[in-house]
Amino acid sequence: MRSMLSRTAAVVVALSMAATFSACTKKNSTAESGGSGSAAGGTIKVAFVPKLQGIPYFEAMNAGGKEAASKLSGVEWLYQGPTSADAAAQSDIVNSYIQQKVNALFIAPNDPDSMAPLIKQGVDAGIKVGTSDTDAPNSARELMVLMASAEGIGQADTDALMKAMGGKGKFAIVSCGETAAQLNQWIAEIKKYSQSKYPDAKLVDTVYAGEDVAKATQMGTDLMNAHPDLKGFIGVCSTAGPGVAQAVQNAGKIGKVLTVGMGTPNDMKKYLDNGAASAGVLWDAKALGCLTAWAGQQLAQNKQLQATQSVSECGLDGVTYDSSTKILLMGKPLTFNKETAGNYNF
Amino acid sequence: MSEKTETRSPAPRPPEPATGRLRVLAPPVTGQEFVLLGVIAVVWVLLGLATPAFVSAGSIQPLLGAVAPIALIGIGMTVVIITGGIDVSVGAMIAVCSVIVAKLVLVQAGLGLLVALLIAIVVGGLLGLGNGALIAYGRVHAIIITFGTANIFLWISLRLFNSTTVNNIPDTLASLGNGAAGRTVGVPNSFLVTILLAAVAWVYLRHTAGGRHFYAVGGDPLAAELAGVRVRQRVLVAYVLTGLLTGLASCVVVAQGSNLGQNVGNGKELAVIAAVVIGGTSITGGRGSVLGTVLGALLVQTVASGVTQLGWRSELSDLFVGVAIIIAVGADLIRQRARKR
Repeated sequence: MRSMLSRTAAVVVALSMAATFSACTKKNSTAESGGSGSAAGGTIKVAFVPKLQGIPYFEAMNAGGKEAASKLSGVEWLYQGPTSADAAAQSDIVNSYIQQKVNALFIAPNDPDSMAPLIKQGVDAGIKVGTSDTDAPNSARELMVLMASAEGIGQADTDALMKAMGGKGKFAIVSCGETAAQLNQWIAEIKKYSQSKYPDAKLVDTVYAGEDVAKATQMGTDLMNAHPDLKGFIGVCSTAGPGVAQAVQNAGKIGKVLTVGMGTPNDMKKYLDNGAASAGVLWDAKALGCLTAWAGQQLAQNKQLQATQSVSECGLDGVTYDSSTKILLMGKPLTFNKETAGNYNF
Repeated sequence: MSEKTETRSPAPRPPEPATGRLRVLAPPVTGQEFVLLGVIAVVWVLLGLATPAFVSAGSIQPLLGAVAPIALIGIGMTVVIITGGIDVSVGAMIAVCSVIVAKLVLVQAGLGLLVALLIAIVVGGLLGLGNGALIAYGRVHAIIITFGTANIFLWISLRLFNSTTVNNIPDTLASLGNGAAGRTVGVPNSFLVTILLAAVAWVYLRHTAGGRHFYAVGGDPLAAELAGVRVRQRVLVAYVLTGLLTGLASCVVVAQGSNLGQNVGNGKELAVIAAVVIGGTSITGGRGSVLGTVLGALLVQTVASGVTQLGWRSELSDLFVGVAIIIAVGADLIRQRARKR
């Protein structure tokens, strides 16, 4: 009995030690700018809570935010997210930033609806709360920093694929989650725009692979089998882009089936080089992080955003603001190919 | 004390009557496996009629390639579940093994296929040893232990990924991948390896004393202990085996793409357990076979591919798999009750 107790105790100690370790590391790697308490000496604290931390896309946003903080005087950039795209874990982090009374708080919500009450709570506590990358439309958020409009992304995807396909033929879309509102908006735009601009092209199917590259590859393979005359794919999320390109490569159909993917330049590079992907569509995540930090400063200083402005700290021109929707729009998405993919490091 | 020694070395018994033997050793192919084979055959025929491309090489080859990693881990998971345990850490184990192989072994060190395989299998085996030791000697329920280790494994893998995706993985492992280099006479090598290992495991579990002991442990650990089975050692072996196979499966996972993101392996523990349960292995332990597990994995992937190729909504495959699990567990319960009567 005693030995069993001590064994159990050893297990518990081992587990809790591991938990402490991981918690420490997380803290160290994220809140490295340090310092807590209220905005002493007029420092504006801008916090950003990504859907999850550790993926290159959000780490690029973090890099952009840090860079902005070093250029804008008196801005401190805080960044922390859950290790998986989990709404509850994300809420805890948002909550802790509200308790810390940061000056401006931006969130890329995993679940916009469940985030709404917390956003309200933050606003009530006197914090400027906004969303970045992903919106929470039915919330009290005071600003949304948007990388590109749904129209812009849908058109860029469609134009890039149609350029490769010669404007005609059958194509299919592979997406991530079926309930991802933003992805569904882009898909709706692709449908609308391809019907009006490219009448000879036909969208045959839209499938959802979750955030799983292997599953996107398998679904891409299945679609090519179901439609032997399929000529193109659009992978509208960061795992589907490389996934469909891998499917084309596996099937030995490079050049016969063309793909455009919304993967990061680093993920798409190999497929762009071997021809399995024709182009990638994304936006400069680093610039988006930078713009988020800048917007946080503007909000905290109660400055009015202009209808159109340049943000030289982020190298951005023509950033537009719509006061009715409270959306700050960074610009057009960027379409990259094998020559230009190397210009971005995320 | 003398009583105990006696039970450990039982006196030779008269041969059992034929009916008794049959009840000890399940038939080579059980009822549930026949049903599964039948269901898979019917589904393939129906899919072949509905969309002829389903039964083409270009469709079946990647399907078998996708089955391989799940079925490989499923062989180990079958043994674990036969002993009455469970291992929910295999998804996180895939993450650890595959990031070590992809990032450290292939990209940074540029080592070859055999070294990569060896390292992956050893790492997987060590992780499995950790699980097995805690479960066999710590006497805490397997689901708690492996849930704990899963989080630790996840932490290890996230530290190794260090917030970056592993890009430009060289095609050192192409012979396990889904491309033309990964096939022998048209069949994916990863699937051939799976079948080979499943066959070895099938014979071992069925026809050797060591293999039968796993069933004894799952059926009644106390009775097994009294009958001279080294229960703890058997339990330990089951988890080590799962670890070794997960290491191997991780190489297949790495071989199937040229990037590796930190969500690799996410949720795969449930896919593996689903295959085992659909394959007819009793979740309460004591009964099951690796043949069923391979068929279970094949059925799940067939359903997923079929739904896509038919142009049906993606979420329908979740529904079908869910129904299959419920039917399988229900059939198991009915069999258990019938046996008690």
